[in-house]
Amino acid sequence: MAEKFHAELASLKGDVLAMGCLAQGMLHRSMEALRTQDAALIELVARDKQRIADQDHEIEQKCLRLIALHQPMAKDLRTIAASLKTITYLYRIGRYGKDIAAVVPELADAPHAGGLIGIPQMADIVEGMIADALVAFEREDLTAIRGIEEREEAVDALRYSILRECLACMTENPETIARCTNYIMIARYLERCGDHACKIAEKAHHMVTGERIEIR
Amino acid sequence: MDNSTILETRDLNLWYGQKHALIDITVRIPKKTVTALIGPSGCGKSTLLRCCNRMNDLIDSSRITGNVLFNGEDIYDGHADAYAVREKIGMVFQKPNPFPKSIYENVAYGPRIHGVREKGALDRIVEESLKGAALWDEVKDRLHEPALALSGGQQQRLCIARSLAVEPEVILMDEPCSALDPIATGKIEDLIIRLARNYTVVIVTHNMQQAARVSEYTGFMYMGELIEFDETSRIFEDPGEELTENYITGRFG
Repeated sequence: MAEKFHAELASLKGDVLAMGCLAQGMLHRSMEALRTQDAALIELVARDKQRIADQDHEIEQKCLRLIALHQPMAKDLRTIAASLKTITYLYRIGRYGKDIAAVVPELADAPHAGGLIGIPQMADIVEGMIADALVAFEREDLTAIRGIEEREEAVDALRYSILRECLACMTENPETIARCTNYIMIARYLERCGDHACKIAEKAHHMVTGERIEIR
Repeated sequence: MDNSTILETRDLNLWYGQKHALIDITVRIPKKTVTALIGPSGCGKSTLLRCCNRMNDLIDSSRITGNVLFNGEDIYDGHADAYAVREKIGMVFQKPNPFPKSIYENVAYGPRIHGVREKGALDRIVEESLKGAALWDEVKDRLHEPALALSGGQQQRLCIARSLAVEPEVILMDEPCSALDPIATGKIEDLIIRLARNYTVVIVTHNMQQAARVSEYTGFMYMGELIEFDETSRIFEDPGEELTENYITGRFG
């Protein structure tokens, strides 16, 4: 029975990673859609919304079943707890991808101001953080999340600078208010995705070591 | 030995003939807590439990070195009386073993042996002990019926009442729920937690979830050695020893 349980636990981690790929894909495609105004990408992200909700539900069910049937202990229990929390963060990341894709058409009528005002740079960092947090979860290798706090700070700083630039833009030319408000929203979503990556890293750390850390 | 320790072993070793069954066990059992001993079959957890009230004296081939201190006094000291030790350190076994007597007589048996003769006093002890074992409400109208007519779970609680009747300080339980169904097990577990308000309970169990549910401290034993002893939450959530982790996560045992 222990062998079967450990096989199921390995498969659970595989499912979390698959959901991670989906969430990363949604965020990445939404940024790509923002850059290229590709309607097909927007459609793809919108369709993934249901898939990621289904995966969230299925993995949660699997976790509950493993706990009920096997009453796991120690690292096994921490792995399930980390999985349960991680899927919530991944679901939120996927949803932010969908939200970003949803505003892309509203930005279609004019060229992007100032090379998107630092948003692509912010997205690159956040996508890297999510990828590394998932590597730490998958391989139980905490070196992957070393320095994630500094990256989180860089993301915060970028968001603040985007906000200031947008404010300046809007003051100078009130016609850009609608457009800049969307940029501010997108920057806010990306910053939240970075926060979720940090939370995944925290859970991976707890899963591996049994110690709780807080990444600000 | 500090004030909060009631039972302590120091470098305890035990042999059954040539077999070295306990190896250098040093442990302190805190007063008025539940301590669980876990480990694979044959690891020595029942043997350690039986050392705590000299039950191993009954096995001719057993030989012991080291100390077992109860309230600071060595129970293996030449002057210590094994019967007096077992009065203060009671034991409940895997299979309920009531005497083939009435419910009342089962509980009154111990106090009678210790010289309580007056009926009013015996009645009081029987009632208090049965209440203490959460059995009174179920049997108060049939105290003189045979104990063997009770269900397995009730018989086990009767055995706990029987051990309470002689006013022990420590109750040792050797897999007390392994012969019981889940409902009876739940009742015994509730009782164990309640008993720890007034007594010290040491329980040997194969059921790790049970150890996690009822105990405040847990010792993990393996091949005669005490590998790790710590707060239960620590043992089951984040044990310090890899061997403990491997056992509780089912990777061996």
